[in-house]
Amino acid sequence: MKISGPILRIYQTLHTWAGISAGLFLFIAFYAGSLTMFKEPIDRWVTPPIERMKMIEIDQYDALIDQVMVTFPQARQEFTLHFSDTENVIAPLSWYPGDVGKELKLSSGHHYASLDQNNQLSYQEKIPSALAELIDLLHRTAGIPYFMGDDYLGVYILGVAAIVYFLALVSGVIILLPTLVRSLFSLRIGKTAGRFWLDAHNIIGVTSLPFHIVISLTAIIFAFHDQFYDALETVVYKEQPMFIRADAPIEVYPIDKLLPIATLIKIVGEEAPNMAISKMDFFSLDSANATVRVAISSPQHMVSGAYTGYLGLNPYTGMVTMSSMLPGKEGLWGGIVSKFFSLHFGSFGGAFVRWIYFGLGLAGAFIFYSGNLLWLEKRRKKQKFNNAAPVQKVSCKILANLTVGVCLGSIAGVAISLISTKWLYHFAYQSNQASLFIYYFVFVCAISWAFWRGAARSAVDLLMLCGAACFLIPVTSVAAHLVNTPTLWANTNIESFVIDGMGLLLSCLFLYLAKLTHKRAVSSTTDSVWSEENAPEKVVIATQSC
Amino acid sequence: MIRNLRARKIQPDWWRKTAAGIVFGFILALGLSGLFAWLGPGGISAPIKSQFIMWSIAPLWMIIFSVVYLIPTGNKALLWLGVASAIVHLILLMINL
Repeated sequence: MKISGPILRIYQTLHTWAGISAGLFLFIAFYAGSLTMFKEPIDRWVTPPIERMKMIEIDQYDALIDQVMVTFPQARQEFTLHFSDTENVIAPLSWYPGDVGKELKLSSGHHYASLDQNNQLSYQEKIPSALAELIDLLHRTAGIPYFMGDDYLGVYILGVAAIVYFLALVSGVIILLPTLVRSLFSLRIGKTAGRFWLDAHNIIGVTSLPFHIVISLTAIIFAFHDQFYDALETVVYKEQPMFIRADAPIEVYPIDKLLPIATLIKIVGEEAPNMAISKMDFFSLDSANATVRVAISSPQHMVSGAYTGYLGLNPYTGMVTMSSMLPGKEGLWGGIVSKFFSLHFGSFGGAFVRWIYFGLGLAGAFIFYSGNLLWLEKRRKKQKFNNAAPVQKVSCKILANLTVGVCLGSIAGVAISLISTKWLYHFAYQSNQASLFIYYFVFVCAISWAFWRGAARSAVDLLMLCGAACFLIPVTSVAAHLVNTPTLWANTNIESFVIDGMGLLLSCLFLYLAKLTHKRAVSSTTDSVWSEENAPEKVVIATQSC
Repeated sequence: MIRNLRARKIQPDWWRKTAAGIVFGFILALGLSGLFAWLGPGGISAPIKSQFIMWSIAPLWMIIFSVVYLIPTGNKALLWLGVASAIVHLILLMINL
């Protein structure tokens, strides 16, 4: 396909600047997003079994609710029933006093209740491990802290990055079009410096383009939906109601008129046959707005939540109040929207699709990493024959250091935070603040290290750090198996093994990359990327070439 | 030859085109999704449609934003998108009266 030169040049420039400005934010978002595919396994890996309370039979839930409602009336505002007996479920009933906003509260306790052998209420207040939530937060904010207004600053920054990312996608496709057929499926290894990176960047970009378009558009919406709704209300809907609510019953029911859980399960079963109930959230039981929101999982459907779909019922009458997020019953418009939710979350098709999304997310992170390297390669001043190595631009130096420090620092930060959570629990206590601090500490140290040592050397060091940290994940589990005390444990389910296996796999990958990078550092030409000759003492920056 | 001349006329005008893409791109996308809300299947009060309408803003905006750089000059980009936004919102205002 032929596109005129000036247009190509404009989109080439657009692609470059869009990529450079948003690339590092998107790297963290994609890499952490890949990890959120295994949010539940991570949660199961870090939750100590001694904190778990006894799970109970379905017909015991009513007795439990009755006792909690009497002993802790504040739980009537909101409480949750858990039905799956997995390591990360601490008790069959839990509630959280106060406002459940979008801000992650790391140091306030959750309340847990169960029944003991004599059907008497047992209760504890605990701060659960928020590590899996923190990784999710890292995905949504790129680790940019500060809560403002209704959401984290990082969410809005990533929203802007997602807009820039869409421009980068379109411009990337446009500049590739003239040579698309010829160069797409050629992976020229070792032809010229940077050619391999360009080919790999293009192949992955084009083959996963639909995924990237969906992710970019949904990320824009996740960040700015409140603003979009406000704009629509002001300009389009005005007096028209935007959300039609089911007629709320005016009657306020006494708490002892709650339907038995078995009845609610039966009603849900009629509405959503062959789907599993994982949770029930009860809200505002003392008011006319009393609702139970049932979380329903079904690998056969594309569900609109990250893990489940939802069905809203009145817990006193059993009437369906909300079915727009129930798989298969969303209606025309709700159905289209829930497909897009599902395509972002990978919440369809079960474990297989989660692995695919894990791969797509890592491949996305590679696109941003390789994009930065291509920028560096293009601006690299070549060494002339017999001349001394040229002094590279400061901008190249900064970007090379940032790319290495931010990308590898974020990876190492998460891995070290993960293992330290378990060891801290054994030797001291559980602290979500500590997990958070360790992540930022490693992240900032890695960036400082990259600037101090230069991209060439620090890349080897940091890759080895990532490799070692990932290797400690299975080591921790093995040690825990051998020691096996209540405070140092290893869960022996397939989901927890997935985390150990992934740690082992990634550690091999990082150590291999460290070896390659080191080899290049000592052998490549001095004007090249990771040449150690170009260490900062010589004021020459290394830009990557392969 | 003619194609070359035509192509040469295109100017980058980064700031103006980007501003046109952000501001008028959004206003135009908002107006278009508003028209679909009123005139599309089901009309304004179809259940859950407002959520779909909200979602449609992002792709419309992004498509407009990403083709704005094809408009020959920054001033033309501002003018064309501005006029298009005005027309769409005028229609919307007439429907909504």
